[in-house]
Amino acid sequence: MPPSIHPVDLILALRDKHLTPAIVFLTSRRACDEAMQAFDHSQVLLPPIRQQAIAAVLEKVIVQYPSIAEHPLIPTVQRIGVAAHHAGHLPSWKIAVEELMRHGCLDAVFATTTLAAGVDFPARTVIITQSSIRKSRDFTDLTIGEVQQIAGRAGRRGKDLVGFAIVTPSPYIDLNVLTKGFTGHPEAINSQFLISYPMVLNLLKAHPLDQIQPILAKSFAQFQLNQRAEVLERKLDGLREQMEPFGPRVCTDWITEWQTFDQVRRQKSHRAPARKHEPPEITARFHFLTPGRVVGIGRSRGVVLRQYRSKGQKSPMITALRQGGGITESPASTVTEVSDRVLDCVDAPVYPWCTPESVEELLRHLEELPGRLPELPILIPKEDEPIPDAIVQTLGDFACPTCPSRSACQRDYPHASKLRQEQQRHLKSIQALRTSLWHRFQGKIDVLQEFGYLTPTAHLTDDGEWARLIRIDHSLLITELIRAEAFNGADPAMLAAVMSSIAHDDDRPGAFPRVSSGLGSLLGQVRKLALSLSPHEDPPLLRADIAAVTERWIGDPSLTWIGLCKSTTMAEGDIYRLLARTLEFLSQLHTLKATHPGLADTASRAIANLRRGVLEELP
Amino acid sequence: MTTQELEQLLAQQPIALLHRLARGRVQRHFRAGKRRLIEILLRHSAENRAGFESDLMILIGERPPLPIPPAPQAPAARKPKPSTPQHRAIHRPAEQDSHEPAITLSSWLDGLGVPPPKPFVTDAWQEDAIAKLREGDVVVSVPTGSGKTYVAVEAARRAIAENRTVIYTSPLKALSNTKYTEFSKIFGADQVGILTGDRRDNGQAPLLIMTTEILRNLLYDAGGGEIDIRLDTLGLVILDESQYIADPERGVVWEETIIFCPGQARLLLLSASIGNPHDIAEWLTSIRPTPCHLVRHSTRTVPLRAGYLHPNGKLMPLFRTVGIPHGHPSHLHPEAKRLFTQYEDETLPTGRRR
Repeated sequence: MPPSIHPVDLILALRDKHLTPAIVFLTSRRACDEAMQAFDHSQVLLPPIRQQAIAAVLEKVIVQYPSIAEHPLIPTVQRIGVAAHHAGHLPSWKIAVEELMRHGCLDAVFATTTLAAGVDFPARTVIITQSSIRKSRDFTDLTIGEVQQIAGRAGRRGKDLVGFAIVTPSPYIDLNVLTKGFTGHPEAINSQFLISYPMVLNLLKAHPLDQIQPILAKSFAQFQLNQRAEVLERKLDGLREQMEPFGPRVCTDWITEWQTFDQVRRQKSHRAPARKHEPPEITARFHFLTPGRVVGIGRSRGVVLRQYRSKGQKSPMITALRQGGGITESPASTVTEVSDRVLDCVDAPVYPWCTPESVEELLRHLEELPGRLPELPILIPKEDEPIPDAIVQTLGDFACPTCPSRSACQRDYPHASKLRQEQQRHLKSIQALRTSLWHRFQGKIDVLQEFGYLTPTAHLTDDGEWARLIRIDHSLLITELIRAEAFNGADPAMLAAVMSSIAHDDDRPGAFPRVSSGLGSLLGQVRKLALSLSPHEDPPLLRADIAAVTERWIGDPSLTWIGLCKSTTMAEGDIYRLLARTLEFLSQLHTLKATHPGLADTASRAIANLRRGVLEELP
Repeated sequence: MTTQELEQLLAQQPIALLHRLARGRVQRHFRAGKRRLIEILLRHSAENRAGFESDLMILIGERPPLPIPPAPQAPAARKPKPSTPQHRAIHRPAEQDSHEPAITLSSWLDGLGVPPPKPFVTDAWQEDAIAKLREGDVVVSVPTGSGKTYVAVEAARRAIAENRTVIYTSPLKALSNTKYTEFSKIFGADQVGILTGDRRDNGQAPLLIMTTEILRNLLYDAGGGEIDIRLDTLGLVILDESQYIADPERGVVWEETIIFCPGQARLLLLSASIGNPHDIAEWLTSIRPTPCHLVRHSTRTVPLRAGYLHPNGKLMPLFRTVGIPHGHPSHLHPEAKRLFTQYEDETLPTGRRR
């Protein structure tokens, strides 16, 4: 079976059940284009009357937008009554498709889900082929809201009695996501309050620093943070109630008092190690009972093969090779004398703990040893080591041991301290929720002060006054470039090219024209600056190939749109969007005409060159 | 009954019955095909043969008579009658709700068609939204395609009649352009203007269309002392697709716009269905001079049905009910479920099954 239904079969099935017109949401632009190609040789033609209707509508649209007159999809659209509509197309083409849909001329439109919000036309049927969409380089499951937004295009008011949302599987589809999406309640939405540099500058332009906090407090972000804080506060109230029986006792803050007392007490008890009944001389000796050491055990002599502590009691033990060849395990306390003689002994990890050869060797040596051996002088520490003064003193400071409420404190302490810890944790989070926006804002102020856009009293400097007019992404990079006079002497094409490489945030690969050497070195400078700013602002992609596209379009006024499209593998719609965004950035530079007349002039010349052909068609 | 007889009997039953029989006995039975399911059931029946057989008989007894007459060793004849009534009493109530017979394709498709032309009638919520706009701000959260635009147009018409400026914003330039064309047709070209980053068409018109970013910039400039637009005569700001407030990159623009929107102007927020519109309304009430009214509506004007189209071209309902069973994502049509499972088994590479 094919992994998904063939587009021609799909259209046939829909026509058969009178489910047209339909919007078919596909996973990618490529899928949309391939679906259109599938109709190239198919014979599922429209009746001539409908073909004429399509032609008539298209004709009207072409009058307004001549750029689509030669569109390669037009024959298929007319013959079959299907069209593709995605971000790779020019806006004028999308308008044409929308117009056709509105007139009810088409049977199906193949569209991508990425722009579901931008698809502003309904149909009788919506076909869903996927359960996840690409969001910033990753595929994520559709949310309930998104599924409903997509399915919601089905059913035209006044034209349909019912709308149909039809799922048809493609590989990796997860039906659960979709059925949940159909039947569920849309998710709550959350504020995404990004504090940007232009926002800080513009707010400080209009309001003194001490009025900022109340303004931030008016945001939906703060509203939602407050909601969370209120939940915590309610919990806090509950905790306070639970804490009631644990109020002041003999001392007001008995929990802390008991906590310290308990800690000190524990420390004291910790000082007594597990082997506390071990006589000090044994401990002292044990260090010297290393493999090869000649020792006296009882009345006989032996060589230590290994030492260890017993598993249960942790009492010191040795394994010794005795005179006569026996290997015994005995407590270290049975060692009567420790000689200063150490015999050579090759260790082994298993019984008999040394190599068989060295057992022979050791035995021989043992026999050869003289009757008396000098004893190893071992320093034995004094028996009862006193507890350090500091602890004795602190213990003496506590009233707890003799306090009348001691037993109650001891009993309640674990519960009460847990409650109090929770209380403190909530208090901290509430504090953080109430002030986080302001702290983030202050962080941005600090950076702007560091770069000299704000005075130490948070007023706008001369640079700040114009920098606040740059209200786009990567504003810090752009204003820093202007201050570094990076654009001095740059021609309109170069300026626009740099702006487009800053504006472009898509990493779709492709083949592109080469950059001129002047632009190349300028981009190198920009890249260096962007990198140095990266602690304060995410650097843009700064693709040279993208810059080259813009440079061509602006640098060569005789270049036609078709010519530009042929020089790259970028989709028409992407080029359009790139240039439109560049236009937006350039017009922001144009607003600096009061302070940077040269730059503003270059920008306006770039705008004039940019706005031609296809880019002039739309308002 | 011998095992062989039982196997034969099971093989005669529809798969849905086998699945019901497997419920609570076999894990993940819905994944298995019929032959495999019978195999598993037989293996399972060894544990409690009597209970298994009686459950099977009850299920067979419940079913409407089969269209094909049963084989000579018909199960009905062997039904252990005495035990039946008690078992029914135990089993039925719990399982009944999800086991109403699933609808057929024809009844699912029934009702398809074009409604007879009738004069445009406003919905109650549309009236409500427009009326409430006289008293204060309004948040509208309704499903896609319910007629939000009508509310926008009507509200704009009333504001213009009072000589007030209206600003309409959308998140995308393309949508702005569509609305510009649409509104120009409704109000007349001289009444509608559009502002983009670098161009201004008919900027003195009473109804201005722009992206939300442009409005935010205008409000900033006004705050900085450079009045750029007649904000003092601004009577109504319509923010379309205002669920964009949750957009990770651009959402903040909507918040800024709402915070700095002049107090005398009314705000009309139009949004698709979202989970917490009351939060937005409450927020607006807390920061704006007039209280905010929430207009919420969850049923669609045109009812929606969900279907499943198998890659082999077979169309069937997705759910066992005609409409969408809200709150019951698992009420799938058995046939759709079976075909989808089959599809998954065929397409998922081995070892990747969930």
